[in-house]
Amino acid sequence: MVFVLTHWINLIAMVCLAFSGFYIHYPFFPGFMGVARGMHFFFMFVIIINLTFRVVAAFFVKTAVSLGSREVDTDIKNWLPQKANRRQLWPWIKYYLFLKKDHPLGAKYGVLQKIAYIVTFPLTFIMAYTGFAIWGPTMDWAFFTAGVSWVGGYMYMRVVHYFLMWVFIIFTAIHAYLANVEGFAPSALIFAWKESEGLHFDKEGNPMSGASH
Amino acid sequence: MAHEDCEVLYSQLAARGVTRRDFLRFCGSVAALLGLSETMVPRIAAAVESAALKPRVPALWINGGACTGCTESMAQLGSPDVATVVLDLLSVNYFETIMMAQGEDAEKAKADLAAAGGYVLVYEGTVMTGFDGNALRVAGKPQTEELPELCEKAAAILAVGSCAVDGGWVAARPNPAEGIGIQQFCEDHDIATPIINLPTCPVNPEWVVAMVVDVLFLGGLDEQGKVAQALVDKLDDFGRPKLIFGQTIHDNCPRRGHFENGEFVYEFGSEEEARGYCLYAVGCKGPQTFTNCPIVRWNEKATWCVEAGAPCIGCGNANPLSAGGNWVDVGAPFLNRLPDLPLSDTTTVQPAAAASVVGAVAAGALLVHGIGMKAAGRMDGGAPYEEIRESDRKKGGGR
Ligand code: HEM
Ligand code: SF4
Ligand code: SF4
Repeated sequence: MVFVLTHWINLIAMVCLAFSGFYIHYPFFPGFMGVARGMHFFFMFVIIINLTFRVVAAFFVKTAVSLGSREVDTDIKNWLPQKANRRQLWPWIKYYLFLKKDHPLGAKYGVLQKIAYIVTFPLTFIMAYTGFAIWGPTMDWAFFTAGVSWVGGYMYMRVVHYFLMWVFIIFTAIHAYLANVEGFAPSALIFAWKESEGLHFDKEGNPMSGASH
Repeated sequence: MAHEDCEVLYSQLAARGVTRRDFLRFCGSVAALLGLSETMVPRIAAAVESAALKPRVPALWINGGACTGCTESMAQLGSPDVATVVLDLLSVNYFETIMMAQGEDAEKAKADLAAAGGYVLVYEGTVMTGFDGNALRVAGKPQTEELPELCEKAAAILAVGSCAVDGGWVAARPNPAEGIGIQQFCEDHDIATPIINLPTCPVNPEWVVAMVVDVLFLGGLDEQGKVAQALVDKLDDFGRPKLIFGQTIHDNCPRRGHFENGEFVYEFGSEEEARGYCLYAVGCKGPQTFTNCPIVRWNEKATWCVEAGAPCIGCGNANPLSAGGNWVDVGAPFLNRLPDLPLSDTTTVQPAAAASVVGAVAAGALLVHGIGMKAAGRMDGGAPYEEIRESDRKKGGGR
């Protein structure tokens, strides 16, 4: 439940950051710069606090081991690679490339999905780092100037920050696509906390017959 | 100090049509540049006065690959001015562009001073290392042959202008002459002489004067004639005086109110331009350029870029130890928000164009994939699950 909330906060913050970021990048209509920057500076803290909370909570809060299952485990265990994920990377790639007909078994999250989700955490923190490196109050901290001189100056730091926004946009597009392409059950869960019948394998990743238990 | 002593300086000043009042006002502006309080003004005045009595401090002005723009910038102090008097307290023994001596005499003066050591080395222009140093030959030899000794024996090096700091526009892509800044050159040759970097293209003479006062008259040199630690502590990570390069142009810009209100010039010749709106949308680099141009201004405080109507092109950006960090590679094209990124020596791409292409490809791929999913009948809950993992099946497990 708590993660439905963090997901909502994340989504809103991301949309606001991307929109205000676009505007800061190029003010495509007049009269909004003060608001855009205020928005960006507010939500940048929101997203960092939210994400940090999310990571810490993952160690304490238990979540279902698979969609629709009543069996729970600490969230972090569902995140990190599990026994059930072993040797399934290639089958998942083949599945998505239409080279494999049946659905690969997995844990709660498939291998590709896990890689993508785990990468977003450092990515968001890198985003924050590059953001603070070009933010007036913090831009001259030695911690940030080291990175600035590494990428070749503040101008390039802005370019990196700008490109990372695109990485997020593309990630979000793929994420939303994959989550919904086989039906809207995951969306119902994450947005409205509506449970579904769920996936068809248990904690160990063994096939199960039909519905939740 | 005895009253008569001061007269030496004041008669020099008077000869140039400068009054005592002008002189004190000048000392006040130097104090501001050095971050000293008003109460320090008499000390600065006294230091300059007593310097006028002492033997003058030797200096060498060495040109690398330079357009002599920085020399011009200093020379525009030609109208009777206190700053010129202060600079006259330096004994510039070698200054290719404007010295009287020439040929072997001039080279000998330079060699003698290099042997003696303890001078201030002012370096203007780019160190040209390309073609084994033959990209720049001085007195029949590559300059890079004499440069190590000149740097080594100096009490301090004043890198004037962006070229001296990190290669500047001379070192911009594709940089066939392999231009670098003097700091990089010293680093490559394990030379530890302290360097004060004063970027911008050209250098602002007021800063040079302020640094000369700081180094020579205000105890910047210790007993060994080396630059004191106290002075080095006043430099930032890029070797620039923090007081001059500590804030962005944007922080002090008179157009800042328009920026906050979202009032931008989108096109030159427009009504917005006539109203003096912010130049951000036409590529102003003020937000990430650290200099005090809006305060000290240019051309004897007459005006400066943004006030004169041009976006800041970021000539104060410097990255002494990073190839490609010079202000041109980092800022061009000047009227665009973000710089061109190099794909090769001669081709570049705008970040927005690159990002749109990648974004469009990703969107297209998802669309095609979606059509495939639909065709494969996987849209409704996906394909049926495999009964056993492929890897297990291969191992002979299962059925
Ligand atoms: C996570 C913490 C973040 C921090 C600390 C941060 C900070 C900043 C700062 C300080 C600026 C410069 C604003 C200015 O100079 O007025 C900026 C610009 C920008 N931000 Fe962020 N930001 C963050 C996240 C994001 C996210 C998630 C996105 C988009 C998905 C984003 C997109 C942008 C864009 C496109 C720009 C304009 C860059 C340019 O063209 O100069 N930022 N950000
Ligand atoms: S003109 Fe440039 S420095 Fe001035 S407020 Fe606009 S962006 Fe900032
Ligand atoms: S305002 Fe910008 S372009 Fe003009 S001199 Fe200063 S740093 Fe250079």
